[in-house]
Amino acid sequence: MTDASPPTSAPGSDPHSGRLAERQAELVAALVAGGPPPAGFAPGPLAATRAALLRKRAGEVARHWPLLAAGLGARWATTFARWAADRPTAGSLRDGWDLARALHERGVLPPAGADELAVREAGLRYDGRRAPRPRRLPAVTRADGAVAVQIAGRVRLLRPAPRPPAPPHADGDGAADAAGSAAWISD
Amino acid sequence: MTGPSGVGIGWRPEIAGFVAELPGLRFVEVVAESVPAKGPLPSGLAQLRERAVTVVPHGVRLSLGGAEPVDPARVAHLAAVAQRVDAPLVSEHIAFVRAGGLEAGHLLPLPRSREAVDVVCANVARAQAELPVPLALEPIAALVDWPDDELDEADFLTEILDRTGALLLLDVANVYANARNRGTDPLTLLDRLPLDRVAYAHVAGGAEHGGYYHDTHTDPVPPPVLELVGALCARRRPPALLLERDGGYPPAAALRSELDALAATAGFPAVT
Repeated sequence: MTDASPPTSAPGSDPHSGRLAERQAELVAALVAGGPPPAGFAPGPLAATRAALLRKRAGEVARHWPLLAAGLGARWATTFARWAADRPTAGSLRDGWDLARALHERGVLPPAGADELAVREAGLRYDGRRAPRPRRLPAVTRADGAVAVQIAGRVRLLRPAPRPPAPPHADGDGAADAAGSAAWISD
Repeated sequence: MTGPSGVGIGWRPEIAGFVAELPGLRFVEVVAESVPAKGPLPSGLAQLRERAVTVVPHGVRLSLGGAEPVDPARVAHLAAVAQRVDAPLVSEHIAFVRAGGLEAGHLLPLPRSREAVDVVCANVARAQAELPVPLALEPIAALVDWPDDELDEADFLTEILDRTGALLLLDVANVYANARNRGTDPLTLLDRLPLDRVAYAHVAGGAEHGGYYHDTHTDPVPPPVLELVGALCARRRPPALLLERDGGYPPAAALRSELDALAATAGFPAVT
C-alpha cells in the first residue's frame, strides 16, 4: 500500500481550517437531532438530506420490526418520521422498541406491533437507555392483549393481540402480518 | 481470489435465493458490517464462495472522512471479513457517517477542502496499514454541498486517489445524481476522473422526491443512468459493473432484466 503524504494544509489559510470535527458535528446535529442549521448551508438541500436520512432509517427499522411497520401500513413512514425527526438513532432495534413503547403508551400500537413488542420484551430486558440484554429468568410479557413467554431463552407468542374486525374496504396494509408472525414467534 | 469481473450484484439476505440461481455470476459485493467476523458465514454467501464467485466486502460505517481517526475495531472487522471471503479487495466511501457522538445513519459528504483531503488520506492510510488487500474508494451521492468548497469534485477525488494509492469504485448512479441535482454535466466529470484506476463500478436505481433525484437503491435503474454506463464504457470500460439493490425488491424477472441491460450496455456476458 502507498503511504499517504503528510498533511499539506497551511494553518490559517482558511477560516474553517482545523474546525472540521466541530463543523461535522454541527451538520450531523442539524440533520438528526434538531440542531440549528450550520452557517452557510442552503436550507433546501439540508431539508432534503434530513428527509432522505429519515426515509433510510425508517427502512432499516422496518427490517428489524417488520410487524410494527406492516401493522402501521401506509402510515409507517410518516409515523416513524414524526417520532424520529429530532431523535438521533440508538440503532434500529432500540429505535423500533422505543417507538413501539411510545405508541403503546398512546394507545395507538397496531395489534401486529403489540405481538412483536410482547415477543421482544419477553426475550430481552431493555431499560430504554442501554442496549437490550437477554433475560436470565423466565418471563411472561403482555402488550395490548398479546401475551409472550420466554423460558430458557426460547420465546413464544402465546396469544396474539385481538384484531379489530376488518374494515369494509380493506386496503391490504396488513398483508405482511401473517407471513411475518411465524418467523418471529420461533425466537 | 480473482478481481471483480463482468456483471455482479450486491448480495443481500432478501435476494440470496435469486442471486444463488444466477448461472453466470462471477462477482458479488456484500455489506461488510453485515458479515460476522467469526462463526458461520451467511449460508448463501458460503455457497457462492464454494462456486468460487468473487466476494468484495463493501464497508459503509468506517467513516473514513470523519475528522476523528478511523476506529481500529471497524478496520479490523473489515480486514477479518476480507480474509474470510478471500476477497481480492475491499471498498469504502469518501464520506463521514458520525460526528460529535451522533450517528448520521448514512453517508454524508465532506467539504471539498484541503483539510478534508488531509483527513481522508490520513484515515485511508490507517486503514490500508491493517487491511490484507487493496482498498477502493467510492465517491458518494450528496444532496447537500458544503458552503466553502476549495476544489471541484474531480480535483478532490484525484488528489485523494493519488495520495493514497487507492483504487476507485465509481458509482455511475452517484455521478448522475450529483450532476442532475447540481445542474452540471456528468460527462465532464467522467472526462476528468482517472478511469484507469476504476476497480469496478456501481449502478443503482433512484427516484425523484421533492425536486431532487435520490439515489435510493430501491427503485429501477432509470434510462439516463444506463446511458451514462454506456458513456463510461465508451471512454474506458471498467473491469466489472455491480447492480446495487437495497430494498423494494422487484420480481425476479425485473431484476434479471436490469442485469441483462447492464451486460448489454457494457458488452459483458449475461449472467442470468
